[in-house]
Amino acid sequence: MKKIISLIATIMISTLLLSACSGGDDSKEVTVGAKNFTEQFLLAKMTELVLEENGYTVDMKDNLGSSALRKALENGQVDITWDYTGTGLVTYNGEEPIANKQEAFETIKEIDKENGITWTNISDINNTYTLVMRQEQADKLGIETISDLAEYVNSHPGELKMATDAEFANRADGLPGVLETYGFEFGKDQVVSMTYGLNYEALNNEEVDVAVGFSTDSRIREFNLVSLKDDKEFFPSYNAAMSMTTEVYEKYPEIEEIFKPLSEALDSQTMIELNYQVDVEERSVTDVAEEYLINNGFLEE
Amino acid sequence: MNSKKIIAVAVKLFFWLLLIAFFWWSFTNDMFSRISEEPVQFFNLLRDHLTLVGISAGIAILTSVPLGILITRASLRKSEWLVVNIANLGQTIPSLAILALAMGFLGIGLKAAIVALYIYSLLPILQNTVAGLDSVNPETKDAAKGMGLTPLQILFKVELPSAAYSIIAGIRTAVVLNIGTAALAYLIGGGGLGVWIFTGIQLFDNSYLISGAVPVTLLAIGVDFLFRGIQYLLVPKGLRLAQQAAIESV
Repeated sequence: MKKIISLIATIMISTLLLSACSGGDDSKEVTVGAKNFTEQFLLAKMTELVLEENGYTVDMKDNLGSSALRKALENGQVDITWDYTGTGLVTYNGEEPIANKQEAFETIKEIDKENGITWTNISDINNTYTLVMRQEQADKLGIETISDLAEYVNSHPGELKMATDAEFANRADGLPGVLETYGFEFGKDQVVSMTYGLNYEALNNEEVDVAVGFSTDSRIREFNLVSLKDDKEFFPSYNAAMSMTTEVYEKYPEIEEIFKPLSEALDSQTMIELNYQVDVEERSVTDVAEEYLINNGFLEE
Repeated sequence: MNSKKIIAVAVKLFFWLLLIAFFWWSFTNDMFSRISEEPVQFFNLLRDHLTLVGISAGIAILTSVPLGILITRASLRKSEWLVVNIANLGQTIPSLAILALAMGFLGIGLKAAIVALYIYSLLPILQNTVAGLDSVNPETKDAAKGMGLTPLQILFKVELPSAAYSIIAGIRTAVVLNIGTAALAYLIGGGGLGVWIFTGIQLFDNSYLISGAVPVTLLAIGVDFLFRGIQYLLVPKGLRLAQQAAIESV
């Protein structure tokens, strides 16, 4: 009995001591959030590494759906995340999408001020939705643009199948909008919903003929797929920028400065390359993020 | 006893009120709007879901029950641990992983999802079949032998009726689990009501979530009741009374 009491006492005292050590007023703590795809994991990992380099304690909340992450940001469960201007405008605020990068950024910055969210460090990563097909099939059917696809589907109803995920299938700036803008229709049995990521597999295995994709996804390169040209410019700009709670932005004004060089260096091509290393070469997110930061001088060896 | 009864009634009442409150809330907030707005889509998803569950659970029953009977025969007793352990293994793999594995072999869609759900449903049925047959009183079997019944007659007239309660309980568990797990079929393009559940999660739209999740729940409850009915019909009356006595004495 005495032993147990002394054990409990020891545990309690050491916990108190430990928390006293870690919980100083000068400790800089932030929570970094990420959505549920590779590019987000990479951006969040880079953010974590750079912040830790600068003396922050970072807690990571990744693998969240778009809207779930946004909710977490709004109520302060997440402090910093990389988000896309188009998503901010259309999905979170119900605004019209904007095609111009800078204009989209300024607009979302303005709108989200009222929501207690600050956008900084716009990058050249433009990760917009795209429709993809197998190169050889697209060539065979003579489809280069979404207009071509619309024409083909209208003249051959029920022939082509499409793979999508639940989000794209039901977002205003997703499939319904594409079908409306380009004036064509897939039958109910022509659209298969699955978790994002399998759509490329399904396309590659010839189980479907068209799939939704993200323009920076490495699998477009890997499976020799082609992105159909969005000739009516339906898909808005989805440039990645840092999105953080205004509270954290004001508490740590240095964060914006710290990430300036990184956000200027990143672009879509870089992202395809990094995504490729994770998705196809199966390297770990941490390795790829670390290597990029070190090679480009954002992180000490 | 009396105070126990009062507590039981109070708990029941409380849950009924919760249920009524939930449905009140969901109807006044138009949470079932998806079903009323897209009935065709809803029935398509429901049809997919029933197909997934029906085929996978059906084949699982047709596999597990005969297999359970087979490995409890005296000549095959030695193989029992092997078969049960293999089925155990199938159960320990997370359902998502089974889906992913099935997808690797069969591609994307309904077929892979059915195979995954089938594997997932095997164990509870097999376990309960074996347990039920094992629990048959050996003296009863001896008596039947003494009366000159053939092994087949003993199986159908003595063993299976005695084990019926346990076997059907296993099937019930498996099918109810299967209905819930079938919601994951969306992930590999298998369709079903999971499409709406996941859409609701991804878009943060409760009307999709509720329109998908509540029918799944009701389906599970309905099937559970159905099998209770079957249990009532198939289990011999004497055994049923014994079961009830056993439950009440606990």
